[in-house]
Amino acid sequence: MSARTAASQVLVSRRRWAQVEASTWIGGGVGLLLAFLTLYPTAMLFYGSLSDAPVGTLGRLTLAHYRAAYTDPATYRLMVNSFVFAAGAAGLSVLLGLVLAWITVRTNAPGRPLFELVALAPNVLPPLLVATAWTLLLSPRIGILNLTLLRWLGLPPWNVYSLGGMMFVEGLVLTPLAFLLIAAALRSMDPSLEEAARLAGSNTLDAARRVTVPLVVPAVLAAATLNFVRAVESFDVPAVIALPVGIEVFSTKIFREALAAFPPNHNLAATYAVSQLAIAVAFVLVYRRITRMSERYATITGRGYRPHLVDLGPWRYLASGVALAILTVLVVLPFLVLLYVSLIPFYEVPSREALGRLTLRHYTFLLQSDRVERALQVSLALALGGASVAMLLASLVAYFAVRRRTRWGGLLEALSFVPWAFPGTALAIGLLWAYVQLPLPIYGTVWILLISYVTRFLPYGLRPMTATLVQVHRELEESSRVCGAGFVRTFRRVLLPLLRPGFLAGWAILFTIYVREFSTSVFLYTPRAEPIGPLLYHLWQDAQPGRMAALGVVVSLLCVVVVGLARRWMGTGERAH
Amino acid sequence: MQVKRVVLVGITLLLVAGGVAERAGAQADATAAARAEGRVVVYGTMAADNFDVIARIFAGRTGVQAEYWRAAPDRLLDRVLSEVRARRPAFDVVLGPSYALRLLKREGAFARYASPSYEQFPRASWDRDGVLSPPYRVTPIGIVFNTRLLRREEAPRGYLELAEPRWRGKIGMADPTLSIFSATWLVNLRPYLRDRWTGFVQGLAENVGSLEESTLTVVSKVAAGEVPLGIAHLNFMYILARGGAPVDYVRTDPILADAHLTAVGREAPHPNAARLFVDTLTSRAGLLALARAGEFVVVTGIHPPIQDAERLRVVIMEDLDEARYAQFRQEFGRLFRGGRR
Repeated sequence: MSARTAASQVLVSRRRWAQVEASTWIGGGVGLLLAFLTLYPTAMLFYGSLSDAPVGTLGRLTLAHYRAAYTDPATYRLMVNSFVFAAGAAGLSVLLGLVLAWITVRTNAPGRPLFELVALAPNVLPPLLVATAWTLLLSPRIGILNLTLLRWLGLPPWNVYSLGGMMFVEGLVLTPLAFLLIAAALRSMDPSLEEAARLAGSNTLDAARRVTVPLVVPAVLAAATLNFVRAVESFDVPAVIALPVGIEVFSTKIFREALAAFPPNHNLAATYAVSQLAIAVAFVLVYRRITRMSERYATITGRGYRPHLVDLGPWRYLASGVALAILTVLVVLPFLVLLYVSLIPFYEVPSREALGRLTLRHYTFLLQSDRVERALQVSLALALGGASVAMLLASLVAYFAVRRRTRWGGLLEALSFVPWAFPGTALAIGLLWAYVQLPLPIYGTVWILLISYVTRFLPYGLRPMTATLVQVHRELEESSRVCGAGFVRTFRRVLLPLLRPGFLAGWAILFTIYVREFSTSVFLYTPRAEPIGPLLYHLWQDAQPGRMAALGVVVSLLCVVVVGLARRWMGTGERAH
Repeated sequence: MQVKRVVLVGITLLLVAGGVAERAGAQADATAAARAEGRVVVYGTMAADNFDVIARIFAGRTGVQAEYWRAAPDRLLDRVLSEVRARRPAFDVVLGPSYALRLLKREGAFARYASPSYEQFPRASWDRDGVLSPPYRVTPIGIVFNTRLLRREEAPRGYLELAEPRWRGKIGMADPTLSIFSATWLVNLRPYLRDRWTGFVQGLAENVGSLEESTLTVVSKVAAGEVPLGIAHLNFMYILARGGAPVDYVRTDPILADAHLTAVGREAPHPNAARLFVDTLTSRAGLLALARAGEFVVVTGIHPPIQDAERLRVVIMEDLDEARYAQFRQEFGRLFRGGRR
């Protein structure tokens, strides 16, 4: 061990200056870029929270917005509501994601490739659409599921318009993210540890509980962190499910008091958002503390790894059944509602009469509309380009955050979370203001959308990369350097291929989010380049739910195909490598 | 004497012809200038399908393409205000509800422009400063009901019946603390209900079973049968009814409506095309086309293809300014949300 280390030091020292210089330059560049992307728009909002003038204009400093926001006892009551809601939703999403990921990635249950692809589909649908679909399934008066269960089994209806309903639907909305993060970590895990546990006498379940689960703890924590913060910030599900019955959470308060006020009060929205930022930063710190001993989770070492599957024997069919049950709730039911809405002239409870009115006219509209064709082109280009750029940046940030465990590494990671903690609408205002003022030809072009997507959703790409990177032992990099490769070469030839599962997971998450992104796009898109997200929303806003559902169906299928192709392509690359 | 008269008539005709020719020449110049600008960028809240109707007429008349950025009123305010404050406006024309456009006018977003088309509107509706158009279309808010759940004779016949206990939990309505339209509607009913207004609002608040983010979700829930009746914009009801949804509305007297205006940007990148677009939008041909698409336009005798539209007495609501909205919002919040969790 000591002889190898000494040899390494000698060889490394020859190139130290060049290597340090390259990584320092790249690290510095990444830091500056990230600081610009995240701090520039959020600085506008911070300043707005302390200014008596509208966001984006000069004013006098004041604490009036903080007094208004935080001396209201309702603020704290609603924070507690939000905490309960977010914890429930994040918990459910992690549980479903973990079970689904384990069955899909680590077992020999039949149908796994299909599960993996289908699990992505809900990520494509805007949460507004998913929440609406669930109200059509579980409304106490017209819910298809409730009516069916009542008619066949005599069960009383379950009211989706409740705190439990809100947690359930938000949990489902967040499950694909948890699934992808945990699946990426499971894929990077050395299965020989499980084998060792089994050789030592543990059965499959014990091995999973005592070996697999602890090994995926960073990914589980990552998923819980992201989903908790995401649920605190979430507005769509509470708007559809909670507002009608008067349940209030923090995000609906921000909307009511600030964003939907007349005129909109973004200073107050930014002030409220500061507490969300505090929550997000606190969670990043907790996560970093837990993963500080990252070597504990390092399972991919220079010995090489060949992931293989846990043989469940006859239980594999039960595992498939569990996965199918989860996917039915997660994907099939809301998708069927969407498909049904896309095939009927107006929404009505399914019946023989309703089925007699089936029509393809909403799909005909899609085929004939130039607007739809343009939106598909714009969104696909943005999603492909944006996801690739964001993942490259996320890989670099993850490297400096995980490998260089200095204050600067932590700062980089924290920086990426800053814009994410703001409500989507408030951040969009910050981005709008930041780039409309910038004397560069970005505002009013499609580039501002790309920048805003990368800025807002970087943590989604960063989490799977860091979760995967902590499992890759340093010795592989060190060996590469010993062999004379510099930072760029090591990163490109050694690290990126090893991080491929995380990269692909992040890419798939970002691709599906970018294809339907709404809350920032709606502020920043130009009339010539309307993306899918705003188009879906505008179809709904123009009282065309059938067209919106038809477009939702087409986009979901398109995304599954693109992600499937990407997975296949990456998989081929992986095998070749 | 007769010769004199002929000469006078001749001179008059020449002057008229000259005026017409001058106007035609000016129009040709404006069209040429608009073509040179290439396009017009419109930000607005009008449904995209209806905007396309105007865009087609405009392109036919001028050969210039209209590009449309569609948004809800609050987002329209955000974007226009941001661009104006940064002095980088990318819009030429704005279409939106009167309360939003009046605020934008105060912020200096618009240029003065009085389109020749405005002549067809009553003088009293013209903007005193010559910046905003007169209201050219309105969006009435009415009592909408599901015809499978309620027969017409079972539906309320007027506003006051909405406060009756038989409707407890059966009414859908946009939350007046979220929707300025909803709050404005309630306040504008006061002169008609007079001393019964307070009791009406209290009774309605108790009866509302579904408090929605917008009037669109209200009408969608009525159409789906989630609630038997609701208070919503009639243009949404029309779109759903056109698709076959079982929805109808109560012919109340009056029916209150939001006014929609338009204006040309002060620093419009395509000012000639912008002015021509406003001319087209507010022209009789433009308004007729909008009416055919289901919009209530402010032209006597022109009605959308909504049953009994011609019999309605549509009254434009008075906007709430920020202070009054804040005051009523608090009051409505207490009444409509106070009893909830």
